[in-house]
Amino acid sequence: MVQITLTVNAEPVDAAFAPYKTLLEVLREDLNLCGTKHGCELGECGACAVLLDGQPVLSCLVLGVDCGGRTVTTVEGLASDGRLHPLQETFADLGAAQCGYCTPGFLVTAKALLDEHPRPTRDQIRDALSGNLCRCTGYQQIYEAVEAAIGQAGPKGPALRDTRTDASSVRRPGPFGPGTDQSR
Amino acid sequence: MNIIGTPRRRVDGRAKVTGQTKFADDVMLPRMVHCKLLRASVPHARIVRIDASRAAAHPGVHLVLTGEDFPIPYGILPVSQDEHALARGIVRFVGDPVAAVIARDEQTAADALDLVVVEYEALRTFAGPADSLAHPTPRIHEYGDTGNIHKLVSLQFGDVEQALAGADRVFEDAFFYQGNTHLPIEQHAAVAARDPDGKLVLWSSTQTPHYVHRALAKTLAMPAAHIRVIATPNGGGFGGKSDPFNHEMVVAKAALVLDRPVKICLTREEVFYCHRGRHPVLMQFTTGVKNDGTITGMHVKTLLDGGAYGSYGVASTFYTGALQTVTYHIPAYKFQGCRVFTNKPPCGPKRGHGTPQSRFGQEIQLDKIAEALAQDPAELRLRIVEQPETLTANYLRVGTIGLSQCIRRVTRAADWSNTFRKLPHGRGVGLACSSYLSGAGLAIYWNDMPHSGVQLKIDRSGGVTAFCGATEIGQGSDDVLVACVAEVLGIDPLDIRPVTGDTDLTPVDLGSYSSRVTLMMGNAAIQAAERARDLLADAVSRKIGVPKDRLVFADRRVFDTEDGSKGVTFSEAVCLAEAAFGTIGTVGAYTPPKSAAKFKGGGVGPSPTYSYSAAIVEVDVDPDTGWTHVPRVWIAHDIGRSINPVLVRGQVEGSVYMALGEALMEEQIFRRLPPRLSGALVHKFPSMLEYKSPTTLDMPEVFTDLIENPDPRGPFGAKEVGQGPLLPVMPAIANAVYDAVGVRIDEVPITPEKILKALDAKAAGKAPRYGPAGFPEIPWPEPLRVAPPWAGGDGTADDKGLRAEGKGLNAESRTPKATSVPS
Amino acid sequence: MKAFAYVNPTSEKEAVAALKTDGIAMVIGGGQDLLSRMKDYIDSPDRVVNVKGLDATVTATSDGGVKIGSAVKIVDLAEHAAVMSLYPSVAAAAIEVGTPQIRNQGTVGGNINQRPRCWYFRNEEFVCYKKGGSRCFAVNGENQYHAIFGNDGPSHIVHPSSLAVPFVAYGAKFRVLGPNGEREIAAADYFTMPTLANVLKENVLDDEDILTHVILPAPGNVKHGHYEVRYKQSHDWPLAFTTVVLVMNGVNGTSGANGTSGSTIRSARVVLGAVAPVPWRSRPAEDALAGKALNEATAALAGEAAISEAKPMSGNAYKIQIAKTAVKRAVMRAAGIKTV
Repeated sequence: MVQITLTVNAEPVDAAFAPYKTLLEVLREDLNLCGTKHGCELGECGACAVLLDGQPVLSCLVLGVDCGGRTVTTVEGLASDGRLHPLQETFADLGAAQCGYCTPGFLVTAKALLDEHPRPTRDQIRDALSGNLCRCTGYQQIYEAVEAAIGQAGPKGPALRDTRTDASSVRRPGPFGPGTDQSR
Repeated sequence: MNIIGTPRRRVDGRAKVTGQTKFADDVMLPRMVHCKLLRASVPHARIVRIDASRAAAHPGVHLVLTGEDFPIPYGILPVSQDEHALARGIVRFVGDPVAAVIARDEQTAADALDLVVVEYEALRTFAGPADSLAHPTPRIHEYGDTGNIHKLVSLQFGDVEQALAGADRVFEDAFFYQGNTHLPIEQHAAVAARDPDGKLVLWSSTQTPHYVHRALAKTLAMPAAHIRVIATPNGGGFGGKSDPFNHEMVVAKAALVLDRPVKICLTREEVFYCHRGRHPVLMQFTTGVKNDGTITGMHVKTLLDGGAYGSYGVASTFYTGALQTVTYHIPAYKFQGCRVFTNKPPCGPKRGHGTPQSRFGQEIQLDKIAEALAQDPAELRLRIVEQPETLTANYLRVGTIGLSQCIRRVTRAADWSNTFRKLPHGRGVGLACSSYLSGAGLAIYWNDMPHSGVQLKIDRSGGVTAFCGATEIGQGSDDVLVACVAEVLGIDPLDIRPVTGDTDLTPVDLGSYSSRVTLMMGNAAIQAAERARDLLADAVSRKIGVPKDRLVFADRRVFDTEDGSKGVTFSEAVCLAEAAFGTIGTVGAYTPPKSAAKFKGGGVGPSPTYSYSAAIVEVDVDPDTGWTHVPRVWIAHDIGRSINPVLVRGQVEGSVYMALGEALMEEQIFRRLPPRLSGALVHKFPSMLEYKSPTTLDMPEVFTDLIENPDPRGPFGAKEVGQGPLLPVMPAIANAVYDAVGVRIDEVPITPEKILKALDAKAAGKAPRYGPAGFPEIPWPEPLRVAPPWAGGDGTADDKGLRAEGKGLNAESRTPKATSVPS
Repeated sequence: MKAFAYVNPTSEKEAVAALKTDGIAMVIGGGQDLLSRMKDYIDSPDRVVNVKGLDATVTATSDGGVKIGSAVKIVDLAEHAAVMSLYPSVAAAAIEVGTPQIRNQGTVGGNINQRPRCWYFRNEEFVCYKKGGSRCFAVNGENQYHAIFGNDGPSHIVHPSSLAVPFVAYGAKFRVLGPNGEREIAAADYFTMPTLANVLKENVLDDEDILTHVILPAPGNVKHGHYEVRYKQSHDWPLAFTTVVLVMNGVNGTSGANGTSGSTIRSARVVLGAVAPVPWRSRPAEDALAGKALNEATAALAGEAAISEAKPMSGNAYKIQIAKTAVKRAVMRAAGIKTV
């Protein structure tokens, strides 16, 4: 067993595990952070992406033992002060998450992009996300969600939208009242 | 309408973006142990001996199971009960599970697998249809139509020979559609445990909890009432999680034996071997046309490489010939399909189930026909589009048809008239169309019960819980459920908690397949919600003295349509109703209309209604490297009505994505090991790297146009969208490649290698084409003859042939149990 | 993967010493290749020696070149200002490696020393020459991505490193440290054609050697072109690719109008990737370029010359056309002529 101290989602964490465990396994099995997913465990899909010292890496191809003293951000660490990260808001609103399985990897990778390039072009977004496979969306709604978060997502950027009413925050108010077709 | 048709965050959106959606592998339970499967290393063999004693004695191993522990077979279709959780006596493909080890952790279980000794006696390996057709023995299965032919279908609607003879031109073309697989990002996983009262619970990434429930009850010989199957949200399904799987049976059995939770999560390699994906299909289209392009008759032959088990294969076979008639009017139609067993992972349903292969052939052939007749392929199609609200030659009752609008919209958007055959060499555009069912008209097992049920529990708080067996596989079924209920009750979708895919808690929904959920669950949800609304309206009407029919439910209120100030809040309405009628709970159910097809085999193809799509694809083909780049796709889809346009667009674009992969790169293929290494057939590349699928940099820009012409059969007019938009894209790409460089690639995937070969052939003055040479001889049975509706037919088969006088009902041709196999 | 001991040396010397063992010791850089091999049970080392702590900087050398620590991350190489300006083909190759996540973690040394991507080698079931077996399954098997040059065997892999190709083209030297001290090896000599004696590896490194640095000489008056033909634009290896480095006559080597060059090519280095067991230097292409004006016609000649030595296998003749195109377009890029 090896024992390390690292910072996970802005909190110091002690972890003890077998030396052959990957960061992915340490996160899911030892730290109970199941938000990070696995799709291949061979670096072929991007589902397990996390931020290591701010850079997106594949947690299935990083040994846990290499992470002592380092900073790891997972999908569980994106929200702050009880508010979702703007990318989480836009991903949820704009259809960027279908089955949601690749979503954590996309979110952290997109966050790293916006942290480094606050106003990326569509091509920069495509490049930055080219290591994350999604089999559901065809990517277009993911690009749109990243673009919609531009300007809202600074490194410490507070969410601009009130998240208390998730659905109504994006729904156009409907024509309530007389004359509304109520069923079909 | 307030909710239906309005772009909206899906009800489960927050869970998905916070990583809180609990997938099967995220189920972690105290005392949980882990399971690994030993899979056959040989493709076809008799098991002479299994010695698992050393594995059982390995430290940390709790249990070893083998085929001895699973005497009862299962299979998704009643006609194909040919699988055992662990092989008994025979293994039929490399990857067939032979033994299971349950140990304290995955690594220990994996180590112990190496200690299981299996002695095999090799049998002839059937690598492809040619082998299976040539050698009837040894039989891979003891059932099936003959030898190693699993299924032969021969159906004829009208006199096709006469129709072809009466054509101005007859076209005969062969096509090959390579197999490919679903590649969901989530690997299949399952956890089984006894609940505290001793009953069995299975959490699984399955699209069909109801069918898994039935299969478990059968194989474990246990009362179904003591089994609970919970379909966890699927991390992508696409059809690949629609069968009951070995690993589900194994962990269920192990949990019962050990009385502790047992988990299995398949490796990516195992997911490739589980497969159940797109069948490789060789096909031949013989089509007669008049000089104006109208079709006089069509004869389609298909040959499916089924792999080692039945799976959905009988349905898949029928589907390769079912939907040709619903897009264009075909007065006489003949279909012959053949599925063979081979020693490879079983094929099954993948998005579009059995129809993309033949749609590929049909739409390329139409492009060839248009060119031969010197017609614009869009105009030709517009002339022959089937009429709405009609019965086709093969007795499919089509509802609304928005195909003409789809064609007009995409041709306008893509500036078709200025691009087709007018772009510089290397650039091209291609058009193709398609249709798909909005739910299979028949259940997988023959019964008269509803296909989907919804139960509502209405709380005094104004909160509603909606129970339905439907399975959330990413497509947004939970959102459709709450949207339909919210619309009827005039509340916010987030006021509703969906409880889905749980056989203990929810009424049956047959599963997330055949694009059935929105239409069937949606209609059931509307019925349940309308019944609740009726109760509430009664109570409110009495309270405020306004006639029921003047009450409106909207904005979390129930109020007078003539005076908005007169009303109560929704929660007050619930309280009033509860006071008046007692606890408020309602149910709704949906059963599809009876099929018009009464002949044997008519169970596959009928649907309450059909969606339509048209796509134009632009390609850049590099003649020096053969590389095809797709910069833009225009697609129009006849959705009927969008429940949530955000999700509808996602389904269209996701379909285009998957289609692009199938067209250009994806293939599930196998390689032979040398004879002295057993001659095994192993997956050519069971990895996500080598199984090429499109990345962000490969994906074109997609312009989606939704045709909203509500179909009265759908909930609020909605039709399907999950599968149909995939279908036109592959042939449109092939047609665009021809427009770009003048070569026909009559098979997928369209690789640089094939384009270069076709270009070489063209340069050498040979046929500018890459594709199959022809279609083999198949021992077709005498076709079942059914007179089309316009020839006086009534949907039954006529044994005496077309010209026979009497067409009385043939009792035996009623759709029997054995053929009620749609999906 | 199997359990192993993990060693974290703090110096080059410690790293070399740590490789001495009775069992199997392996070096881990970014781990992007080694860990996937270990998970697939292609390799099961008893000891894993971490070299991420070694030199991870790019520094200027006194002769105007650069010295690249093998622990430099691929992303940092791709974005390094001096590399981008002096050796644009190195940067161009680096930015196409794998995926962004792999470039963030993968190292220069790891890219150079990664093992073949051959699907037989990567499948546990196939005990090929490179796994101590006695055959190359690609010969009678599936070989559409295998070698079209240097096909005398016994192995028919294509070398997987993207960076190796421009390094050879720019005349890089590799600094290697072993138990007996350090040595510098020309990049072109570092990679080894397979023989029955050395088929278990792809380069000259001994078991206790580590690659510490890549040293690039000052480029001089050169023009550069790099061209990759890819099936898939990310998450994949190219079908074929080429780096050309052209030493020009005259001072500036400026281009004239219409794609013709204001000066002629003095000498050329043409190196192809993904076509042979080593980064494949094409002498015929180099000869075809020497003394010629730099234009599209010359580029086409170079492409034709490059494939004159090709010996395809049963299923990969199509790669010849692709390799030819890659050479032609790399030369065109060097000339500043627009390509597809």
